[in-house]
Amino acid sequence: MRRGMGLFLALIMVVLVGCSSSTPAPATSSAGKDPAANTKPIKLGLIIPATGASVEAGRFQKQGAELAVEEINKAGGVNGRPIKLVIEDDQSTNPGAVAALQKLLEDKEIPMIVSSIRSTQIQAMLPTINEAKIPVAIGGTNYGLTHSNSQWVFRFRPHDGMSAKVMVKFVVEELKKTKIAVVHNTDAFGNGGRDMVIEALKPYNLKIVSDQGFNTDEKDFTGVISALKQSGADAMVSYIANSPDLGILAKQMKQQNLNITWVGSPSITGQDGIKLAGDSLNGTYGIADYNADSSPKAKAYQTAYKAKYNNEEPDHYSAWSYDAVTIFAEVMKKNPDLKADALRTALLAIKGFQGAEGEYTFDKNGDGLDHYNIVQNNNNTFKLAKTLHVPRD
Amino acid sequence: MDLPIFGQNLLAGVAIGGVYALVALGIVLIYRATNVVNFAQGEFSMLGAYALFALTSGLKLNYFVAFLLSLALMAVLGLLFELGVYYPLRNRTFLPVVIATIGASIMFQNGALAIFGSSPEKLRPVIQAGTHGGITLGGVFFDYQYVVILIVTGLLVVIQYFFFEHTLLGKKMQATSQDKDMARLLGIPVATMIAITFIYSTLLGGLSGMLVGPIFFVTHRMGGMLGMKAFAATIIGGFGDVRGAIIGGLSLGIVEALGAGYISPIYKDAFAFLVLISFLLVRPQGIFGEKVSEKA
Amino acid sequence: MPKNLRSFNWGYLAIALGAIAVIVLPMMVTTRYSTNLLILGAAWGIAAMGLTVVLGYTGQISLAQASFVGLGAYGIALGTTRWHMNWWVALLIGVLMAAVAGLILGMTTLKLSGHYLAMVTISFQIIFTLIATNWRVVTNGPDGVTGIKRPPFLFALNSAQKYAWFAMGALFLIGLLVYFLRKTRLGRSMVAVRENELAAEALGVDTIRTKIVAFVLSGIIAAIGGAVYASGFLYISPDTFSFETSVQFLAMALAGGTESVLGTILGAFALTLLPEFLRDFKKVYLIMYGFVIIMVIVFMPEGLWGFVNLIGRRFVKPKALPKAKNPLQVGGQGASGEDLLAVANLGKHFGGLKAVDAVDFTVKRGELHALIGPNGSGKTTCINLISGLYIPTFGSIKLKGQEISGVRPNRIARMGLSRTFQNLRLFKELTVWENVLIGSQRKGGTEAQIADRALAAVEFVGLESKVQERCKNLPYGHQKLVEIARTLAGEPELLLLDEPAAGLNQTEKQEMVGLLQRLHAAGLTMLLVEHDMSLVSQVSDRMTVLNFGKKISEGLPDDVLADPVVVEAYLGNREVALGA
Repeated sequence: MRRGMGLFLALIMVVLVGCSSSTPAPATSSAGKDPAANTKPIKLGLIIPATGASVEAGRFQKQGAELAVEEINKAGGVNGRPIKLVIEDDQSTNPGAVAALQKLLEDKEIPMIVSSIRSTQIQAMLPTINEAKIPVAIGGTNYGLTHSNSQWVFRFRPHDGMSAKVMVKFVVEELKKTKIAVVHNTDAFGNGGRDMVIEALKPYNLKIVSDQGFNTDEKDFTGVISALKQSGADAMVSYIANSPDLGILAKQMKQQNLNITWVGSPSITGQDGIKLAGDSLNGTYGIADYNADSSPKAKAYQTAYKAKYNNEEPDHYSAWSYDAVTIFAEVMKKNPDLKADALRTALLAIKGFQGAEGEYTFDKNGDGLDHYNIVQNNNNTFKLAKTLHVPRD
Repeated sequence: MDLPIFGQNLLAGVAIGGVYALVALGIVLIYRATNVVNFAQGEFSMLGAYALFALTSGLKLNYFVAFLLSLALMAVLGLLFELGVYYPLRNRTFLPVVIATIGASIMFQNGALAIFGSSPEKLRPVIQAGTHGGITLGGVFFDYQYVVILIVTGLLVVIQYFFFEHTLLGKKMQATSQDKDMARLLGIPVATMIAITFIYSTLLGGLSGMLVGPIFFVTHRMGGMLGMKAFAATIIGGFGDVRGAIIGGLSLGIVEALGAGYISPIYKDAFAFLVLISFLLVRPQGIFGEKVSEKA
Repeated sequence: MPKNLRSFNWGYLAIALGAIAVIVLPMMVTTRYSTNLLILGAAWGIAAMGLTVVLGYTGQISLAQASFVGLGAYGIALGTTRWHMNWWVALLIGVLMAAVAGLILGMTTLKLSGHYLAMVTISFQIIFTLIATNWRVVTNGPDGVTGIKRPPFLFALNSAQKYAWFAMGALFLIGLLVYFLRKTRLGRSMVAVRENELAAEALGVDTIRTKIVAFVLSGIIAAIGGAVYASGFLYISPDTFSFETSVQFLAMALAGGTESVLGTILGAFALTLLPEFLRDFKKVYLIMYGFVIIMVIVFMPEGLWGFVNLIGRRFVKPKALPKAKNPLQVGGQGASGEDLLAVANLGKHFGGLKAVDAVDFTVKRGELHALIGPNGSGKTTCINLISGLYIPTFGSIKLKGQEISGVRPNRIARMGLSRTFQNLRLFKELTVWENVLIGSQRKGGTEAQIADRALAAVEFVGLESKVQERCKNLPYGHQKLVEIARTLAGEPELLLLDEPAAGLNQTEKQEMVGLLQRLHAAGLTMLLVEHDMSLVSQVSDRMTVLNFGKKISEGLPDDVLADPVVVEAYLGNREVALGA
């Protein structure tokens, strides 16, 4: 029974020693002074979900980042030093995300990290980020991520508070609707969005007429649709991240003859949603932090992305990481010492920087954007309806 | 109560219930033959759907040719599954077998993820007609694909009944499921009968996936909950009986749909499993069940 | 004393090494990343050890382990952040919640086992996830809980390394507890339930209570794991405690060896560390993960540890047995000749079938009473009624003057009645020694007394040389002897023997006759059901004959066998009855 205990312990020790010794020696602080080090690649950490539930977002995120790196390096890198991505998988789980982050933090040559898109995982990483004190780019849109006194997270997308304000503003002011329903996944994203919509309706003295939550991977929306019918809503705002849910909902709404003005969170303009929903999403509005027609820079990004990735359409999952890498490179150019504090100050000083998603100006919370594009689905091509800015908080 | 809305909810329940029933049918057959619950049955649906997707979208085969070919592929998979997972463990207790089938389902899911990626795919429905793939009657929308599923499920029950009661092979399989030792003494090749059961059940699973693919969309995750619900349906109906799978599936679907429509869609799955637990505690043998207890 | 019976006694060395590892490992890993893995491994190791108890020891499947872990984690998270409790109070609350959940799941085992139990635990797990995700007022929903506190401890746990000590220490302590649990009465009862529930019950093990206790313990242990996790990572959210995680715990326990504490810890660390090593081969790893589960189940049913153990066992010779200090005291106290068992108007109907119909007979203290009759005459049903496995349709059964019809078998067993089974019901995977120890537990006493009785029982049937063998490896004749030794070790007052000679060859039969005669001489009261007439007539004092569920004759062997009614009853198969 107890034989082999020693063997077991030895194994564990070997394993753990292996972990710790595989970490490279700390970088010399002389980088930048030594001329030989000038061409030494700068490592940039990238955390993506490469396995598990969010792989799809991870793939786009990686492609956006790699495109940015290619462009930067082609243009001479950061003061002559090329950028090299060090990619870790967050496994789409919280412990996985923390482990991935810590793995990157062990490498002292990594001055900045572009992290994940899922809010829960960023939430899990926050204590570690605060402790590590290096700038981390995030793509999660949960309002709280930049409002929890963390000095080190920088958001490269608008947050859900903004998306709700934009959607509500559009529905109430532009489309003149007053009976508004919310339909959402019951994950962090969906619930957060729902709360923000309720909040955003207050200035107009309006309340939602129906709150329809459902669990991810729902297969039948008859219950949701009949509740919407009975509520008498004339417009709905949706926070749905999972594209099969979106596809089935859209199809069944058409089938069950629920024709209602629909403004949806970004996935409604995503490629997967369109593929699954077919023509059922025709006429709906969506908000998109990225839209190719919103600026010349956005257009250029689309061209470059399609050229590199087999004519695939870019979307916000890739655009934000593209922007994050680009802006990180920008601040590193100005701070060749790569000191965390200086980099952070430089990021906070960014004003009006034109990225693929839009104009970045970082506020004290670390939020870079304050706008959303509203696009309309016109036979599965997207027409820019309006770009709306909202006040920050 | 708004009648068309009630009708729509009820129809949704019946339709989804039909899907559960189709998957549950495979679980019941394997259980009857081997006393083993196959936790990978839901993955057979997923694999069937992907097979059809690969053949129609990848190889651009005619839909109906691809349909038959996918069924053939599933049959092969069924045999491999029997040889690889069930056969080596046939003399062990239920626990190792259950865990092995859970292992198999992890393997299938991740295999599909590795091959097809995580992006959901769309399948063609069997009948391509009507606005939005169906017809509205009396304010209630009938999705043709749902109608097809219900017809197929009904047909399978009839065919299965005829097969087990009126053909020699069917009777041999029934004898095997009732008493293996006796069947062996009567010269029935028990191992072959069990293999045939697995092949047929896998085929059923695959078929269910090909039929629900157009409605649910095809993802590597689609089999998980489907298999679990089908298993719940089997328990509600009772393990002993093919009728149980059908009644169990339909009642589970209806409870879910009405619960979601009239109470809360968030706790839809909770309703399903609460019904299951109460069934287990009050009537563990199910509606058409056999005795659960062990004999001395 | 039982210590020198253990085949390899490396236990204390292992414990010492473990203690050193607890202190040294957190010092050896210097990076945050590997320290964190150490904490994660420790937390998951504790959680998986809950499965060692419920699945490994007790043989009950649980796919709700992650929900127990979740309860512990939420207890700490909400307790320390929202209600500002002391960490240890919050731990207590989480543990209590998990214990209650374990109690509820355990109670379902009253009615359910096997697949049904699996499904109930899965349902529980899914409902837990739904509530944790959707009941936002309390759980904060999918956003999870941040700002979790670390426990106040002997030293401040203000760094990852110090916390790693704490986590490893917790793992070590829980590991010790679970390891020693296996060697207690409760632990042996658990294993008995796993191996053969019916036999365990008939040997006086309260199987229902044992299963419930196992689930509760498993919940408590898992909740502690959850608490260690929550304070280690300072943030939790519901998706960490999902069905997939439950499956992962199962895989950890299985890969290492469900029954072994070290194996489970090994499995937990392996499955925590492996994905980290194989980061670059992630997809392959995930496919292999499922494949490896199947391979382990097929080729290493006892997990990695069992495999190592199997090899280890070849090189270690069992030590010699000491002699029993006291002889067996079977038969109990009481006047010889009084009515020990009185069956009156006993009936059992299965639907329309009257298996036993208004039967009366008595067994007097000290006698060997035989119950005979043609096939299907209701003899085994009678024994099942008396030992409590069946509840009578009507009638009364009195043991030592006390009514026992409808009483649960383990209670009857503890009143001094023991039985063997027609189709052997041994704890097959256990050694002869453990089988007999479990039987010996019936009578209670100290561990030394239990072991001494077991020794005496083994000596009585003459199986001293086989004690360390697993029952499944013994020849049939020896297995029969083990079953009898197992009942004897509990020093019963009344022993029911259901066809002890069935399946034995002539020599073995004669040995069985000798054994019965020795037991008879030692004063043990026996009720013997047997087909073999020559054996019955050699040993029994009195006989009762059943036919079609009714008593047709009773008396001294010679009189009964000459009774024309009996002869007629056996006429159809006279050769069987009188031959052999």
